Amino acid sequence: MPRLIIERRFKTPFILSIVFPLLSIVLALLTSSLLLLALNVSPLGALKGMINGALGSWYGISEVLVKAIPLVICGIAVALAFTMKVWNIGAEGQIYLGALASAAAVRYFPVENTFFMLSVMAVMAILAGAFWGGIAGYLKGRWNVNEIITTLMLNYVAIHLVDYFVYGPWRDPSSLGFPMTAPFPDFARLPTFGGTRVHAWIFLALIIVILYRVVIRWTRWGFEIRAIGENQRAALYAGIPYIKNVVLVMAVSGALSALAGMGEIAGLQGRLQHGFSPGYGYTAIIVAWLARLNPWGTVLVSIFMGIIMVGGETLQVIMRLPLASVQVIQGLILLFVLASEFFRNYKVRILSGDGR
Amino acid sequence: MLRKVMLFLAIVCFAVSSMAAYAAEGIPEEKLTAGFVYIGPIGDGGWTYMHDLGRLEMEKAYPKMKTFFAESVPEGPDSARVMETFVRNGAQLVFATSFGYMDFVQEVAKKYPKVKFMHCSGYKRAENVGTYFGRMYQARYLSGLVAGKATKSNIIGYVAANPIPEVIRGINAFALGVRKVNPKAKIKVVWLFSWFDPGKEKEATLALIDSGADVIAMHADSGAAPQAAEEAGVYVIGYNNDMSKYAPTKHLTAPIWNWGTVYKYVAGQVINGTWKSEDIWWGLKEGLVDLAPFGKDVPELVKEMVKVERDAIINGKHVFVGPIKNQKGEIVVKEGTAMTDEEMLGMNWFVEGVEGDIPN
Amino acid sequence: MKGITKSFYGIRANDEVNFEVRPGEIHTLLGENGAGKSTLMNILCGLYTPERGTIKINGEKCFFKSPKDAINAGIGMLHQHFMLVPVMTVWENVALGDKELPQVLPKNKVIEQIKELSDVYGLSVNPLAPVWQLSVGEQQRVAIVKLLYRRAKVLILDEPTAVLTPQEARHLFRVIKKMAEEGHGIVFISHKLDEVLEISDRITVLRKGRNVGTVAKEEASKEKLAEMMIGKRVAFAIDKPIQNPGKEVLNVKNIKVLGDRGRLKVNGISFSLRQREILGIAGVSGNGQEELAEALTGLRKPISGKVFVDGDDVTTGNPRDFMKRRVSYIPADRKGTGLIANMNLRENIALRKYWKSEYTRFGFFINWERIAGHTGKLVERFSVANPSLSYPVRLLSGGNMQKLMLARELSDNPRVIVAVQPTWGLDIGATHYVREVLVSQKEKGSGILLITDDLEEILALSDRIAVIHGGEIVGIVDNPDKVTEEELGLMMAGTKLEKYPVYDLKEDELE
Repeated sequence: MPRLIIERRFKTPFILSIVFPLLSIVLALLTSSLLLLALNVSPLGALKGMINGALGSWYGISEVLVKAIPLVICGIAVALAFTMKVWNIGAEGQIYLGALASAAAVRYFPVENTFFMLSVMAVMAILAGAFWGGIAGYLKGRWNVNEIITTLMLNYVAIHLVDYFVYGPWRDPSSLGFPMTAPFPDFARLPTFGGTRVHAWIFLALIIVILYRVVIRWTRWGFEIRAIGENQRAALYAGIPYIKNVVLVMAVSGALSALAGMGEIAGLQGRLQHGFSPGYGYTAIIVAWLARLNPWGTVLVSIFMGIIMVGGETLQVIMRLPLASVQVIQGLILLFVLASEFFRNYKVRILSGDGR
Repeated sequence: MLRKVMLFLAIVCFAVSSMAAYAAEGIPEEKLTAGFVYIGPIGDGGWTYMHDLGRLEMEKAYPKMKTFFAESVPEGPDSARVMETFVRNGAQLVFATSFGYMDFVQEVAKKYPKVKFMHCSGYKRAENVGTYFGRMYQARYLSGLVAGKATKSNIIGYVAANPIPEVIRGINAFALGVRKVNPKAKIKVVWLFSWFDPGKEKEATLALIDSGADVIAMHADSGAAPQAAEEAGVYVIGYNNDMSKYAPTKHLTAPIWNWGTVYKYVAGQVINGTWKSEDIWWGLKEGLVDLAPFGKDVPELVKEMVKVERDAIINGKHVFVGPIKNQKGEIVVKEGTAMTDEEMLGMNWFVEGVEGDIPN
Repeated sequence: MKGITKSFYGIRANDEVNFEVRPGEIHTLLGENGAGKSTLMNILCGLYTPERGTIKINGEKCFFKSPKDAINAGIGMLHQHFMLVPVMTVWENVALGDKELPQVLPKNKVIEQIKELSDVYGLSVNPLAPVWQLSVGEQQRVAIVKLLYRRAKVLILDEPTAVLTPQEARHLFRVIKKMAEEGHGIVFISHKLDEVLEISDRITVLRKGRNVGTVAKEEASKEKLAEMMIGKRVAFAIDKPIQNPGKEVLNVKNIKVLGDRGRLKVNGISFSLRQREILGIAGVSGNGQEELAEALTGLRKPISGKVFVDGDDVTTGNPRDFMKRRVSYIPADRKGTGLIANMNLRENIALRKYWKSEYTRFGFFINWERIAGHTGKLVERFSVANPSLSYPVRLLSGGNMQKLMLARELSDNPRVIVAVQPTWGLDIGATHYVREVLVSQKEKGSGILLITDDLEEILALSDRIAVIHGGEIVGIVDNPDKVTEEELGLMMAGTKLEKYPVYDLKEDELE
């Protein structure tokens, strides 16, 4: 009887790491076509609509970038922690806390100067995010408390903390009781470019990407992070302090996500509002993973996710597809790309007959 | 260079004049496209479902019109893109059906001055932004009459979404109805802090039943509360639409929305070229709100009484008319005065007979 | 087994290998690490499926889909880890996994069978004892009972003496011989030539996945087997130049160290190490050697006692404090501790040096060019065979990994070298090289603490030997040439001998 043998690849040829993701997207689209045909929609038209919606106009492209900004920043944030094999699932909570802190800055220390106001907001966000990430880092380093659990739980705490303020003391009196703060004054808004919603954090994202590359590749600290991630015992043997690094990495990771949170409210929302992040912190985990922790990969994958999301909306509007089916298509694309990871790392051979 | 400037000016002039022409003449039905931004999935059986029924009613009235819609659009920056996508694909009329879209409606409306925007439940208007909402409190008041007659334990549970004036107003109107026919009854409120969360809605219902409630009323977007009430064998007053399918034997009635009335009205105005920004706040009279058919356990006498009150309201009777006391028993609305629309829109206190707190 | 072929990652681990065992025979499978011994045996016990080749048992062709099939066919493997449940008693462990037994275990029947087997083969196993109370040697015998209880006809013993004292090994050999007499076929796997010659009837040598040949015991000699194993002649002797030991470099005073689970693993050890001296710490693995080594390199803090390097108290120092005082550490666990398998050669050389000022820029960046230059020189000097300095070290052979680690640890002329099992798992050539390097480093002035359970190595290299058992020094041998393996074995089992008293080095003896 024929059997399937699965073996780890010795080394993945470079070409395959490009071919597989592309092939998987094609397969996902083919599978989606069946669904679309069942719904009586032309698959080609849908694909065209999706690409047109996301990339067919400057507006579409700018919106893809708007989506990609928080994903890149948070993607790098979790990639940094993942490099050390510290599983920071808490980017979402760190986004919320960063937004909370920068909103606090606007409320309590308003300075009528855009540069100073934004600097104060950024510093507050960084401190809050670093603190939030640092808690999980310290618990992990000192008492080996599972960081997946702590960061996940801290997400709930952060989201509810924001809810407390927007439902309670910070609620805009003129909002008819809706859970949101008063709109930020103009000096607390990030500058945007060319009539689009692309805001200043696009540069922050690029700087963070480059810094990440430099730190990981060329600095002592980056080497320490990599060493701990690859082999914690060996890192100890090399005299690399674990607790200090785990706290530091989680703090930096938290601070970056918090900055992304500030970008969302100061760049787009213009106020702090209940449920303002549609799960960027969780999507960032997928981004970091698909990018294999590579900084430029993070940029590419974030843009790809942006295209899927923006294009998916267009699909819903112009093809009149139900949201659920759009989500199925988005899910299929991700599923196939993730599955291709398996074939990148393993190869499957078919053995026929009696052990031959 | 000069030629380019001239060309540009010419284009601008042309654009402006054609825009003006549009505004004055209206948009022929076959060229009109309207976009709907929904907060939930159209299958939620509640808020969004009713808006979608309204959209379909409008399509029926103007069969040559086209519509777009997008489901489950979060009340954040993403909503601006959805509206812009509508406009970029030809929509000249956009309905945003949840409060949280307010800022983004303003943002997009500023970019597209010739497109008309209608925002549901908000208060910010502009040249091309109107608002619309319904006097649901009128129907709530009627449903309170039914509930007050149905309770034996004199405890009525109220599953409430978020502590905002709209919901508080509904609770108060309901309480006034209940206490009119049953001054001993109390209304216990449980907050969900969410508009759509079937799990929480069910839990809250069961908790209220545990604490002695034998009639459940609700302000939330799913059918979970009626379902739980039916299972527990307790009467229930639905919301949004006739929820008797969730509680076939225990459903008494429900205050419901008929958004189609507004949508037909707005579309008609746009087609005729008579549209202008206004604040629509319609009630029983215009048919935007109403009561669902009564369940089999509602006595004829009660039905008769509700009909009388309904007619009275349609003929101008005000629900919030003094004397009205707050929870501490202090008179807030003096004998003979009626609350103004502004006072009702900012309502942040409970009337006597309601048990529960309004968080901050 | 005929014509067995099996590849991993396109590399042939077994290439047309033939192997047979007759009833009543002890047949040794000999070969260096990576020669294909384990692959062949894993095929025999059903863990792997060969691409080609056949297995016949009593002339009947078999095809094993899983280890269960192999067990049913009468093939039993004694793994290096015994796979026993510590909290259960011996008889429960033996009965465990026996599908033929009813739900309610017939305790007395099982115990009786165990006693019978134990008597026949001289295993001396108490069926009622809980496994965690047993010594390693006893646990091994329980594992053998378990195989015999399952009616194994062919027993595969995978390096069974690695974890034993010489006395326990002797006992095991008696058991093995008895089993052979009773008609079992025994496959004995080892790379220790002395014991192979002692116990085998026939010896099959594998090299690079192929049969090199099968020789009867009478025709074999140590030199011949070694030559077959590595394909060229090898020298065994190491020159052990007697040096004049110099100044004391390491002084350990009555340290106590806890193990990972909070148990006291080192219970009051004192010794002194001088320049140009190799002090061997002999003992069966798991008697506190790892913890001792870690306490002397900053990876573990002693709970009491003192450690001095060149007279400085470094008891509570961190690993970097020890590195700064030029204490090198060659851990036993190359891939798990000493090197980072997924990092390249340069990065592994940098591992314990990257923080030094000569390898950094502005104190913040790592000067990779300089590290690459340094690595290039070291690789040449220690002849580490490698395709490129940017190759991950996991692709290197064990010997080259060890050379790379030695290169890093010995390059800065250390004061103290703590070497744990430095030749474990290496082939003969690499072993010889490592030993030579250690000896030459001693001549250059380092004090070396050699911690190993390989008695041959201890005797070949040490100037003094301290024997460790249960976290304590049982005896110190000042003249290794005079001590016998038996005496060392007794001490390794915890017996104190008057001939070799434990002494504290007095201050005035130092200079």
